[in-house]
Amino acid sequence: MIRPRMLPLVLKYIVRHQARTLLTLGGIASAMFLFCAVQAMRDGVAEATQETADETTLVVYRENRFCPFTSELPEDYGRKIAAIPGVAEVSPMRIVVNNCRAALDVVTYRGVTEASLRSMDLMLPEGSIDDWTRRNDAALVGVRLAERRGLKVGDRLSAAGVTVTIAGILTSTNPQDQNVAYVHLDFLQRAAGNKQGIVTQFNVRVADSTQLDAVAAAIDEVFSNAQAPTWTSSEKAFVSRAIVDIVRLTSFAGWLGIGSLVAVFALVANAISLSVRDRIKDHAIMQTIGYPEHLIARLVVAESLILSLLGGVLGLSLAVLVSWFGSFTISVEGVSIVVQADIATILAGMAICAAIGASAGLLPALRAARMSTAEAFRAV
Amino acid sequence: MRRLPLDYAIRNLGRSMGRLAALLVGNALVISLIIAATAFVEGMRSSMSPQDASNNVIVLATGSEESIERSEVPGTTPGILTASVPGILEIGGTPFVSPEILSALIVRASPDSKEDLRAIVRGVTPGAFLVHDRVEITAGREPRAGSNEMLAGELAHEKLGVPAAALAPGQSLWFDGVEWTVSGNFRAPGTTMSGELWTSLTDLQVATKRDGLSCVVLRLGSAEFADIDAFTKTRVDLELSAITEADYYADLLRFYRPIRIMIWVTALLIATAGVLGGLNTLYSAFAARVREIGTLQSLGFSRRAIVLSLMQESLLVAMSSVLIALVLCRLALDGVAVSLTMGIFQLSVDSVAAFAAVFTGFALGVLGAIPPAWRCLRLSIPEALKAA
Repeated sequence: MIRPRMLPLVLKYIVRHQARTLLTLGGIASAMFLFCAVQAMRDGVAEATQETADETTLVVYRENRFCPFTSELPEDYGRKIAAIPGVAEVSPMRIVVNNCRAALDVVTYRGVTEASLRSMDLMLPEGSIDDWTRRNDAALVGVRLAERRGLKVGDRLSAAGVTVTIAGILTSTNPQDQNVAYVHLDFLQRAAGNKQGIVTQFNVRVADSTQLDAVAAAIDEVFSNAQAPTWTSSEKAFVSRAIVDIVRLTSFAGWLGIGSLVAVFALVANAISLSVRDRIKDHAIMQTIGYPEHLIARLVVAESLILSLLGGVLGLSLAVLVSWFGSFTISVEGVSIVVQADIATILAGMAICAAIGASAGLLPALRAARMSTAEAFRAV
Repeated sequence: MRRLPLDYAIRNLGRSMGRLAALLVGNALVISLIIAATAFVEGMRSSMSPQDASNNVIVLATGSEESIERSEVPGTTPGILTASVPGILEIGGTPFVSPEILSALIVRASPDSKEDLRAIVRGVTPGAFLVHDRVEITAGREPRAGSNEMLAGELAHEKLGVPAAALAPGQSLWFDGVEWTVSGNFRAPGTTMSGELWTSLTDLQVATKRDGLSCVVLRLGSAEFADIDAFTKTRVDLELSAITEADYYADLLRFYRPIRIMIWVTALLIATAGVLGGLNTLYSAFAARVREIGTLQSLGFSRRAIVLSLMQESLLVAMSSVLIALVLCRLALDGVAVSLTMGIFQLSVDSVAAFAAVFTGFALGVLGAIPPAWRCLRLSIPEALKAA
């Protein structure tokens, strides 16, 4: 766009009006911070709900219920489900949350059997499954829950009337595992409401991903006339249904994200227009000593681009820091949405800043380039 | 101090209509965001504020103090409570005791519909109308036991995502393949109940195949909270806990604190971008008038009088923006329903939001004018007069 030797000139323009530059950078940083936060939330929702072709997990829930408090299925359904052709594994699960409402600090207990826990794809940077099996009140907590509550191995966690001892911290590629506490199924059944033999749901692994719908239909068929009929869906579809209000909130937040980008455009365009207006004399002199019109235009666009990118870097870095240290997770009905700005969000943000910077500077650049030398001197 | 006339400030505003429009729109946007955030927070707060004079106590299962929906208490609890604790309010021999079930259920608009409508259903007895005296039936009548009838709150259609007419008296909903008829509508201002469907306690127990209760709400007469609390602590076999209705909603409001903070941070971030952009515009507007300001000083107007006049200009724009923003928000946002999984509330553009708008406008007007005015006035008169 411009030769490197012209760069000091552009930087001089930027630092010449320090107050204006700082105000503009502050504004862009605020807007890009918000954009990044909104984008991280949208990414979290997409990650938790987008179905893939190789999905093999089904969730069996009580029909016509939502919120784990109301879904109660007999634990012995597990045997009948395991006998259905195509089912590879059945994990009964009791879920207890301190609140079913959407919030940022929900504790979700998942009561599972030892066999189910060992079959999960979990990594344990601290503690071990053996430690978990040794204590009846032991819990393996997700890394985000541990960070948010400042938990370490050996600590006690109390929520929803249930107190557990931390036996390990777990990480997983599944966003649902990062904000839960895995406890012993029989312990949770007794500790939360004396519900021996009752589970909230079954997580079913299907041998062949192409058979997912057929197996789901077969499970529901088996229990269609039972005391507690079931509703079976893929894990992602189950999460989509649970977070319907958050999806609505996210689409509204999407508008806020677009609003932030409009604000960035307006801020950069305003600052560059003011800057060009202040430099009419400079441009007149530059034209007199032989600077071509297109070079003047490119200098203005470069200034706009640099300003926009600087503000973007500031806002995006701040957003990344806050999201990493805040460990934000939106939970509802026992399912979680991890809100974390990743490298893709930052790169997308920088690309958008560059595009906005270049386009916002275009009109003032054209105006500056098209002004004749005489006109420019007269305007001074 | 010799002051500049107000006319001077007003006439100056008309110098550049483009700049005036940009400032008006920018300020109105910032103030609208503050109003929207206040309306959200106020709406949420007012829906979780039990009556000032309320003397209600909620008895629920130990460990479920954060959420009635999770609680399960024995069906015999109301009888044991009234027999064991004297001093519960009574009128004409009827105790103010309401056994209730609160359940999250999926209902359907027609028997063959595949669309899930997520409803919060409360199973009640006539005692509910004694303890929840903000509830007022606006159409039809209360649900009768054994008839599979429902009383729909005024915001229930918003919660379910159906037209209001779908929950008018006489309309039907289906749950577990069984038809339920809407017997009437109710309103319950200042509570979270407006988004609920109320039905007979026994009908809901049959439909959901449960014999226990979620909670028992009672109103204190001569008894004190400590009496109920002592009862729950004495009867450990029942695994009960007591909490005043005011404390329950205060805890609920505290639970939503991070969401309220998130709303404020979002509004403040956009507002910051708007304010900084506005300051940029004011800087340039005032900087272009350095010579004029020098002339005013040479005519004998003090710096303070000039700052006051510049502030008048800025305040006139800001307060006009306040008016624009308040009218727009009142028309577009007031009463809009916001659904939050287990509840619903309405945005409230009330006197608190209006105060927040005026305060923000005043701050924008005063603080927005001072830094650029200071920058223009720090020049000496000869320097200002010579300025381009």
